[in-house]
Amino acid sequence: MSEIETTLLAVIKENAVGLSGDLTRDTLISDLGIDSFSVVEIIYEVEEKLSVEIPFNANENPFGEMETVGDLIDALNSLIKR
Amino acid sequence: MSRRVVVTGMGVVAPNGIGVDAYWRALSAGQCAIGPREYTSAEKFSLTKPTAAVDDPDGVLDNLGRDIARTDRFSKFAVAAADEAMKMSGLEIDEALSGRAACIIGTGIGGQVSYDKAYVDMLWYEKRPHPTSILKLIPNAAASHLSIRFGLRGPAFAVSSACASGAHAIGVCADLIRSGAADVGVTGASEACLTFGSLEAWRAMYILSDDTCRPFSKNRSGLVIGEGAGVLVLEEEERARARGAPILARLAGFGMNADGKDMINPAVEGASGAMTLAMDSVKINDPSAVYINAHGTGTLMNDPTETKAIRTVFGQDADALVVSSTKSMHGHLLGAAGGIETIAALLALKHGVAPPTVNYDEPDPECDLNYAQTGAVERDFELVLSNSFAFGGLNAVVAFEKG
Repeated sequence: MSEIETTLLAVIKENAVGLSGDLTRDTLISDLGIDSFSVVEIIYEVEEKLSVEIPFNANENPFGEMETVGDLIDALNSLIKR
Repeated sequence: MSRRVVVTGMGVVAPNGIGVDAYWRALSAGQCAIGPREYTSAEKFSLTKPTAAVDDPDGVLDNLGRDIARTDRFSKFAVAAADEAMKMSGLEIDEALSGRAACIIGTGIGGQVSYDKAYVDMLWYEKRPHPTSILKLIPNAAASHLSIRFGLRGPAFAVSSACASGAHAIGVCADLIRSGAADVGVTGASEACLTFGSLEAWRAMYILSDDTCRPFSKNRSGLVIGEGAGVLVLEEEERARARGAPILARLAGFGMNADGKDMINPAVEGASGAMTLAMDSVKINDPSAVYINAHGTGTLMNDPTETKAIRTVFGQDADALVVSSTKSMHGHLLGAAGGIETIAALLALKHGVAPPTVNYDEPDPECDLNYAQTGAVERDFELVLSNSFAFGGLNAVVAFEKG
C-alpha cells in the first residue's frame, strides 16, 4: 500500500463516525456515517499530512457515483496527482 | 380560544452547575462561580480577569457524540443543554411532528473560539484557517446542530440581539407556537466568548470588573463575563397535556421593543415598556408573589435604570416584589443570559424560592428595591419575569405563570 493510500485510510477511519469494525477498500461509504462536514475535515487533514492540495469544492456532492472506500481513495488520489 | 404555550423541558450548562439540579442547588445556596482566570493566545498574549467559566469535571461536553466533538464550544453547550431539556420533556419528534417543530437559538456572537483560532492561525502562525471554521463560527451553528440532532424541521434560525438574544429567542419561539406556525419548539441561547481576544475587546470599553459582579450594590464595578447555555422545550398547551407531558410553567407573556436612542446607555422607557408588554394580559393579584430575575449586570448604568423601570411599571407595588440578579453568581452570559436566567426564574416559580443577589454589600439610594441581597427568599410565587436589555437598546422580557 502506498504512503498516500495508508494516510487516506487512516484519516477516513478517524472521521468515520458510523464505522464499526475494520476499514478496507471494500467498506461501503454509506456505512461510514460521514457527512459533508467530515468530508471537509478529511480533505484538510490529508492536505496537511501529505503537504498536497486537493482542489475539492465543498459544495459538490462529495461522493457522486462512488460506492466503496476504494472508490473514494482512487478519487482523492487522482485529485492529488492533478 | 387562542393557543397557549407551556414549558415541558429545561436544560442548563452554567458556570455554577451543569444540569438543572446542580444549577438550582448553586443558585438557591448563593454559590458564586466567579474567579480570576488567565486567558492566553498565540504563546505571547495573556490577560487575567475575573470570569465565570464552565467547569466540566465529568466530561459532559466531551461525550456528546463524535459529530458534536468537532463543533465550537457554543454549539456543545447548546447540545448538552438541549439533551437535558428534551429528556425532561419526554418529547418524541416523529415524522408527523418534525415539520411542526421549531428550533430558535440565540447567541450574541456565535463561535468566538473558532473565530479567534482562525485569525490567530492566519495572522500569527501564518497558516491557512481550518476549512471548517465557517461551519463552526456561524451564529446559526447551534440551531442547525440541534435541528439535525433532534429532527426539528420547522422554523429554525438563530436570533442575535447581544444580551437580549436568549429572551428574544424564547419569545419568538413561543410566538411561532401561539400563531400556529409550529406546535413545539426547542429554544434558548448559548454563548462561549471567554477568549483572550474577546476579553481584550470588552476590557477596551473599561466595562469589565476587576473585582466581582455586584448587582445593585453601590460599589458595583462592572461586568463579569460568563459562558454557557440554557434551553427550553416549549409546546402548545393542549398538545402537551394530551400527551401527558410534565407542565413546568405556562408562558404569561412576552414583550419586546427598542430604545431607539443610544448604543450603550439604556433607557427607562424601553425597559419599562418591554415589561409592560410582557404583562399585557396578566392580572396581578398579589405583587408580593411576583419574582423578577433582573438583567442586573452590575454596571453603573444598568442597575439604577432597571430599578426605575421596575418602579415605573409597578408603582407602589414595586416594594412588594422580589427582584434578584443571578448574574452575581454565574456572571453575564451575554447572548445566553436570557436562556439560563429564564430557567432561574422558572425554578424560582417551581420551588417557591427566589435566588439571592450575592456580593451585595453597600446600599445605593438609586437602587432601592428588595434584591434578596441577604439570601434566598422563600415565597409561593405566581408570576416570574426574566428581563434582558441589550447593548444597542434592544429589550426583551418573558413572563411565566404556573401551568
